[in-house]
Amino acid sequence: MKKTLIMLLALILGAGFIFSNDISITGSTTVFPIAQMTAEMYMEINPDINISVRGGGSGVGIAALMNGQTNIANASRPIKTKELKIARENGVDPFEIIIAMDGIAIIINPSNKIPNLTFEQLKNIYNGKIINWKELGGKSAPIVVISRDYSSGTFEVFKTLVLEGDKVRDDALLLASNKAVVTTVANTPGAIGYIGFGFLSDKVKAVSVGNVMPSEETVNNGTYKLARALYMYTNGKPKGEIKDYLDYVLSEQGQQIVEKVGYISLQ
Amino acid sequence: MKIRSFCLMVLFFIAVFFPLSSMETKISMELWNRYTTELNGSTVEESEFALKRGYLRLEPQFTDNIKGRFNIDLFSDDDGLDGAGLKLKYAYIDFSKIIIPEAKFTFGLMKNYFATIYDWDYTTIQKALEDKEKVIASTDYGMGIYGYIPNGFGEYSLQIINGEGYKKTGGDIDINPAFIGNLRIIPFAGFTIGGSAYYTKSGLLNKDELLDTTLNDTTTLSYAIVTKVAFGPFYIWGEYLSKNIDGDNAMGYMIMPVLQLGRIMPIDIDIIARYDSWDKNTESTSIDDSHQRITAGFNVNILRDAKNKPLLFLQTNWERTMYEDAAKDPKDIVMIQLRWKVSHKIK
Repeated sequence: MKKTLIMLLALILGAGFIFSNDISITGSTTVFPIAQMTAEMYMEINPDINISVRGGGSGVGIAALMNGQTNIANASRPIKTKELKIARENGVDPFEIIIAMDGIAIIINPSNKIPNLTFEQLKNIYNGKIINWKELGGKSAPIVVISRDYSSGTFEVFKTLVLEGDKVRDDALLLASNKAVVTTVANTPGAIGYIGFGFLSDKVKAVSVGNVMPSEETVNNGTYKLARALYMYTNGKPKGEIKDYLDYVLSEQGQQIVEKVGYISLQ
Repeated sequence: MKIRSFCLMVLFFIAVFFPLSSMETKISMELWNRYTTELNGSTVEESEFALKRGYLRLEPQFTDNIKGRFNIDLFSDDDGLDGAGLKLKYAYIDFSKIIIPEAKFTFGLMKNYFATIYDWDYTTIQKALEDKEKVIASTDYGMGIYGYIPNGFGEYSLQIINGEGYKKTGGDIDINPAFIGNLRIIPFAGFTIGGSAYYTKSGLLNKDELLDTTLNDTTTLSYAIVTKVAFGPFYIWGEYLSKNIDGDNAMGYMIMPVLQLGRIMPIDIDIIARYDSWDKNTESTSIDDSHQRITAGFNVNILRDAKNKPLLFLQTNWERTMYEDAAKDPKDIVMIQLRWKVSHKIK
């Protein structure tokens, strides 16, 4: 009887490892393109491995890791102390891996001729003190402020680097993804938004911030200040297939994918 | 020290004015629809459907560093008044990242950070042991500081409160404050150990008399030692409690193992067991005043939100309470409870 109980307990506790050929990745929509493309390439090389990638936002990814619902959490911000405490209390020990660098690009509609914004101007646009492009030397048109929603890691970074504690103006449009910001700014003449580098396209115009254009070079040399690291978190130091996949992300091939999807490689 | 009146003013301010000017306000509601059947020996003592508990909550966020919570407790059952009862449960405001990083100052009707009562999520339908045995109320009027130890190594808090709990109305007035200190350390992932202490020297005054008419003075010292071990889908809470009022000592403990099947297989069910023991007076051998309670049950998580928190779940608990007093029969309670919540953010 005792042996049966021990075996049953071992089976239950071990069940999670039985399907170890499946890797699940959840979290940041900014990191999503890197995770998706590296997963696809990795599965081509390793057909026995099945990797599922989901978005949801950095907070959702970290919560999934804390609850044992994912193997890897994608995040465009570092884990918070509160999240770390809850994770450790639940027996999860988040291990941080920086997989790429990213700049947050400020984008406007291509019809807008404004070439540059200072940090102060950016802050005042988002807190509602500047409400018309005329105040910045542009044509008279109301500024349509587009922001990411509050669960977004991109928002967290933007809030820290630009808003410095101010709140986003009440009528700002909060969108759930980088793609949605691009689409809205592209279709709205007076709009301004912010996105990860990887989502820059011809549909929108990136402006310089403090007279520095966002680029790989300016992020790497530290002159473009709206920059951040992108992360993947695992429960403890990665092992087995999870380690192999993360080694691939950090490899030359993986970092080429990072550049291909528009971010800044670590190499 | 009496700060309730001032806190009520703060509450009014929060509830009426602040949500209108806040960055965003989260509105949420949670309801606990419960069926209970209680057996004393073979006699049915209770059989009812009731709204045993519910919350209506406003959480305005004014800035990144200032937020509030206003919470009304709802309940309606055979024991209460006709219709529904209401209690004010939370009305506080948090100021975070002031002077001390990763810490917040709280003011108002707030959680009491003692033992497990402040993060008790009702995995069992029954309350936390310290709540059930009235060692401490779950919330009280006062102020405090709550913070995290860097790198996820734990948390701490210090509070000064009325010491009478959120349910206190009228009656005698306690002029002295109460103090709570709490520390939880997580030396390594999956192992938590902590302790709490509560101290008050109450000076009760008769409300109808002049303020210098002290009825009595009592000193209360309660403390708790708490531990949690988590591994994969399994975790276990352990708790030791002691309450001493002028030398009369009460003592008890709780052990609660939980297996979360949803973490290892596609069945989102938690299997729960719990054992409580409580002795009202450890010195007294002539009075049979202790009891033990066994709980077994399971929670079926039907819906979860994006962050995996349950939105709709069914709880089934069987409880048996056994008394030291041989004249009292064991009491069995079966509870089936459907808990559901909704929330919405208004910008």
